[in-house]
This record gives sequence, structure tokens and C-alpha cells, in this order.
Amino acid sequence: MNKHIDRDSILKAIRQVPLLSPSASRLLELSANPDHDLGEIVAIVKCDAALTAHVLRVVNSAAFGLLSRVDSIDRAVAYLGERLIVGIALGDNAGELFNKPLGGYDGARGDLWRHDLLTAMAARYVSSKAKVELNPGLAFTGGILHDIGKGILSDYLHNSAPQLLENLQRQAIANYLEGEKNILGIDHAEAGFEVAKTWKLPDALQMIIRYHHAPQDAPEEFRPIIYAVHIGDIVAMMGGYGTGSDTLQYKLDGNYTQYFDLSSDALAMVLLETEEEFRRVEASLTDGKEN
Amino acid sequence: MSAVVLGVGDFGANNKPGGIVKTYALGSCVAVILLDPRTRTVGMVHVALPESRINPAKVAERPGYFADTGIPALLKEMAKLGCDPRGRGMVVKLAGGAKIMDPNDTFNIGKRNELAIKKVLWAHGMGAVAEDLGGNFSRTVAVSVDTGEITLSSPGRSNWTI
Repeated sequence: MNKHIDRDSILKAIRQVPLLSPSASRLLELSANPDHDLGEIVAIVKCDAALTAHVLRVVNSAAFGLLSRVDSIDRAVAYLGERLIVGIALGDNAGELFNKPLGGYDGARGDLWRHDLLTAMAARYVSSKAKVELNPGLAFTGGILHDIGKGILSDYLHNSAPQLLENLQRQAIANYLEGEKNILGIDHAEAGFEVAKTWKLPDALQMIIRYHHAPQDAPEEFRPIIYAVHIGDIVAMMGGYGTGSDTLQYKLDGNYTQYFDLSSDALAMVLLETEEEFRRVEASLTDGKEN
Repeated sequence: MSAVVLGVGDFGANNKPGGIVKTYALGSCVAVILLDPRTRTVGMVHVALPESRINPAKVAERPGYFADTGIPALLKEMAKLGCDPRGRGMVVKLAGGAKIMDPNDTFNIGKRNELAIKKVLWAHGMGAVAEDLGGNFSRTVAVSVDTGEITLSSPGRSNWTI
């Protein structure tokens, strides 16, 4: 296999990834900015008829168990919260990238989306344990987007999983990223970063995607938020929500202690709380689709 | 075929001929599998955390979440199907508990789950005859009621049994 050809065709495929809708772009930008209020989110949703319809469907789904029907976007956004709105908008827009079966990783349809959602919830929760102030909305959105590159690479990795795992076992490679790069000339972090540039995502999100397995290599100003997503990613994999053959094939960067106070008990609570939130939200999103 | 499928923190048992008990994608979680040859019953609990003291409120809703409350809950459930309530005569097998290398040891919940489970089993006079624990991969576990054989699978790997 010629990895240079693969790298070039992958970069070409990335340039053809559908662009985000203006409302999804704007929501991502807002969530990266700590100074915004719910009113701005409401205003964006109101201007997008398809998004409005989907948000109302989710808030009125059985999983939320609200007693009366919610017909106003203001109330729907207040109930669902900004993060879920961002998630819905991204699912509508880039659903194909998030929802495809990850054949190249021996993963099933829905694995990537579930992994991203759990990572996002854990990253948000962990961001509250940081020694510096972090924007929990940004940690969440970064978690949703961190593995976007896998949706691209999966198509090129064909049946490579058993060989890659064997190389890892023999310690011929350090982690799954190195395996991807050996085969394709590009790894999922870099591919995701290319997608983020195509989408013109805010810098912080670009850096999260690029460095989520190597937070210490990131520019210092972004490091704490990247560590939050790095930890969220590991927590999701520990909880059994991986993306296939690469699950748990990455190293935890122990330097997270520079930025986080995490005892064993606190970490146990992160697992417990995020798993609980995940069950609730997953039920509401599936309900919304079926209605 | 009767299939009992367990999520994180669930427990359940099956004694229907041809049936299975299954749980998906154990990461640092551990499946405690109890086989009762006398009644041909298979029980399993999908343990996520070692100790219930970190959130006692959760115990009422989902006792299977923790090692210290999950194993007693499973024994009680199996007793409903005619098994010995103290687990006498049962065969114990364990699977899961994937390892996360962390120089600070905070993230090694898989190992802590394993130790907590073994402690609880010990207190019940029980011990595992087979285990597939640790390593850095996730495991899906399916147990046959007919044979008691445990089949493990993981993405990118061939299936194996314990």
C-alpha cells in the first residue's frame, strides 16, 4: 500500500466533507466562547426551521417525561440545555460522519456517536475539577468533535485491525495513532484537525481535535481544556464506550495532575455521573428519532 | 432462544435450556459470572465500581453497579430460581477489568474492581476457578446456559473461551 497516495486521497476526501450549516457553525462558535447567554442560542435555533423541528421533537420525547407539551423554542432550549442543542445540530449536519459504521476499526454503526457523547459528558464533568477555570461548554463540544477524523480514516483502514493489534502487542508501535500513520501516512487526530480547518472551527476546538492524545504537545494556553477531553476520552473507553479495535489502545498522559485534582473516588464519581447522564440523553435522542 | 442481556450495573440470571446471558463491552468493568450446576442456572452481574460508599443513593436503584452490593443482589436473584442463597456449590468466573496505565494509579479502576470483587467472594466462601482479567482491551461476554461455556469477543480479535 502506498501511504502517500492514501494520505493525498484522504486530504482530498476531507476537502469534500459537507460544510456545516450556518446555524451549526454559529452554535459551535458560541459554545467555545465563555461569554454568551442562552438567548443567543435560542435566536440561532429559531432561524433554522429544521433544527427547530428536531429540538421540539426531542424535548417532547417520552424520555424527558414532561407533563405538558413544549411548543416554544425558548422553553425547549431551557429544558434541553445548550450542550444538547449543539449535539442535535451537529447530528443533523454531520450525521453521516458521526453515524457511519466504523468498518476500518471493526466498530458498529453508532459506536462513534456514543463514544463522542460519553467523552463530551465526562470532559464537561472533569472540567469542573480543574485547578484553573475551564469552559464546560467548550469541553463538551470538544468531546463531541475530538474523534471526527475516525469517520474519515475508517474507510481507508480496511481489515487492518488484527495486524495493528498484533503490532501493538509486540510493542512495535506505541499506540493506535502510530499504526494509522504507518498505514495511511496520517492519523485520526491530524485528519480530524484537517476537517476542523475545513469547517473553520474556533482555534480551541481545532487544538482539542489535533492534540487529544498528546495534550503536552499543544500550545500551553489550550492544554488544560485538551487534558479535560483527553481524560473524558479515556473515561468513555473505560466505561465500555469505545469505537472498535482501537479502544484502550492509547496512553493516558499522567501529567493531567498538573491541571486537575482527581482522586480515585472523584474519578469513580465521574464514571458514575456521566454514565447516568448518558443513559438519559441517549434515550431522549433515540425517542426523538422514532417519533 | 432466551437471552438475558445486561447493561452496566445490571444483574440477571437465566435457566432456560438453550439460553444465554450476555453483556457488551466491559472496559474497566468486571462481569462476575456464577454457574450453578445443580439447577443449571447462569447468573451475571456487570460491576462498574468497587465500593457503594461513594454514592449510597445509587444502591437502591442499581445495586449491581458496585462490587459490594452487586454480588449479594445477584445471589438473591438466583435464589429465586432455586439456587442456594449463599452460593454453595456455584462455580465462579470473572471477565473484564481492563487496565489503564496511570503513573498516579487513579485510573486503574479495573484492578480495584477485581480486588473488591475477590474480597466479597472470599467473604462468601467463594473463589473464581477461571478469570480473564486485565489487559488493555474491551470484552463482550456471552455465557451458554446449556454448557456454562463463556465466549469472549473484542473488536479486531478472534473469539476465545474460558
